[in-house]
Amino acid sequence: MEADDLALVERARAGERDAFRALVVRFQRKVYAVALGIVKDPDLAWDVAQETFVRVHRGLGDFKGDSAFSTWLFRIATHLSIDAVRRERSARKEDVDEVRESDLEDGGEGILATPLGTDPRQNALRRELGEKIEEALATLPEKHRTILVLRELEGLSYEELAERLGIHKGTVMSRLFHARKKMQAALREYAGIRGDADRDGEDET
Amino acid sequence: MTKKDCVRFAPMIGAREGELSEVEARALAAHLAMCRRCQELAARFARTDGLVAEALLARANARDFAPFVDQVMDRIGTGAPQGARSGRGLLGWVGRHWKGTLSVTAPALAALAVFMYVHFGGPGQVASLEISSQGVSTVLQTSDGPVVLLPPEEHPS
Amino acid sequence: MTRRSFILAAAAAVLFSAVPIAARADVPVHVRVIKGSRRGPKQVDPRLDALRRQLSALAYVNWQETQERRVTLVKGRTEFVQLPDGDMAGITLQEERGTIATIEVALASRNTQSRLTIEKGQRIVHQVTGERDGAAFFLTIAVWP
Repeated sequence: MEADDLALVERARAGERDAFRALVVRFQRKVYAVALGIVKDPDLAWDVAQETFVRVHRGLGDFKGDSAFSTWLFRIATHLSIDAVRRERSARKEDVDEVRESDLEDGGEGILATPLGTDPRQNALRRELGEKIEEALATLPEKHRTILVLRELEGLSYEELAERLGIHKGTVMSRLFHARKKMQAALREYAGIRGDADRDGEDET
Repeated sequence: MTKKDCVRFAPMIGAREGELSEVEARALAAHLAMCRRCQELAARFARTDGLVAEALLARANARDFAPFVDQVMDRIGTGAPQGARSGRGLLGWVGRHWKGTLSVTAPALAALAVFMYVHFGGPGQVASLEISSQGVSTVLQTSDGPVVLLPPEEHPS
Repeated sequence: MTRRSFILAAAAAVLFSAVPIAARADVPVHVRVIKGSRRGPKQVDPRLDALRRQLSALAYVNWQETQERRVTLVKGRTEFVQLPDGDMAGITLQEERGTIATIEVALASRNTQSRLTIEKGQRIVHQVTGERDGAAFFLTIAVWP
């Protein structure tokens, strides 16, 4: 697929509009999903995703192919998303990245104690859960949303996250830890799911 | 086993293969083997891992992206990317495809947009078959699957 | 295996079980481009036997397979099929649940995008070119063929 991307990039660089169009169609939803995860607002995410492709088109001549096209594309999407959030947000107390003992206290246990099955009748439940997850994600600070989205949606490694976000690997790990903890706490609050130690235990088979 | 150990190892939970050094991975595994609290933490993280991606992709998939690519192409305009090579005999080819691009904006097609939900009731069948289409004129639902038809062409190329 | 190494292996299994759910979604599909004609002998290419019921709903009487491809769809990534009229059809897996898949079919040069949910054993039949000289091309997609 990567070779396929590069072939389209080459054609787009040569001025073939349909090749660039194909690249947009190929990545539009995932770029939008990354932007939505970071900026929260669907319309702003739409604008960020569009701006991403406009910038990519503008920079095609400079794309050397040292990294995968998708890596380059999502790097631009990430930076534009973060910029968009920072422009909009009011000054707020920053959360620390270090992990303290108090952070290890329980919170969020029992979430999804019933594993999500593959029964199609659970689709409605999953859709509803998806909305709750999005709402919960929206409550996280920008840096926690961003790292969680990049880790889960783009599948970036610790090293790649460090490079993308300009932080140390240790900070990546602790920031991810906080992001996950906050996500679980927010899910519990938004989904109205209560802890259930017994059910929790049953799942550990 | 002290809380300090947990503070050290908790951020490593959720690491993928190869992301920790061998020493770190061994130390974490040894800690996990003996620390119930961190085992529970790992289990909780594992249960919710991937859900954010799934939720965001589902949201992106639910949105109508039909206008997206046209809006991007409009913003790009007719200009070639900076540093683009030209003179490869492709202008004619691009010209032909402009007709298709122009037809994209035909309001008649937008008027033909349909959005429907087909509900099945029988046992063993899809409980709720969702179909959403834009730019097509007809969707026939058969027990073997959908048949989607385009509207008659207004501008045959 | 010593007791210690067993414990380490078990702990590692707990640790590395956290594979993202979304990353596992992929669906093998059988994609065919077929041509339907109003003229010619009333005949369905034997390779299209399984499609007879769906094709019978249409006015075309002669059906031939022109292209065939087996591919594995990965969630969120679009696979392209070159069509006889020069257009491209994009096929994207949007959701996969057990034996049910939601697939988007988009035609690059038209404002056409269809999101269709089918079960294993069912097929999508999607017109992909306009009718010309009494003939049109269709894309068929079978999941988990």
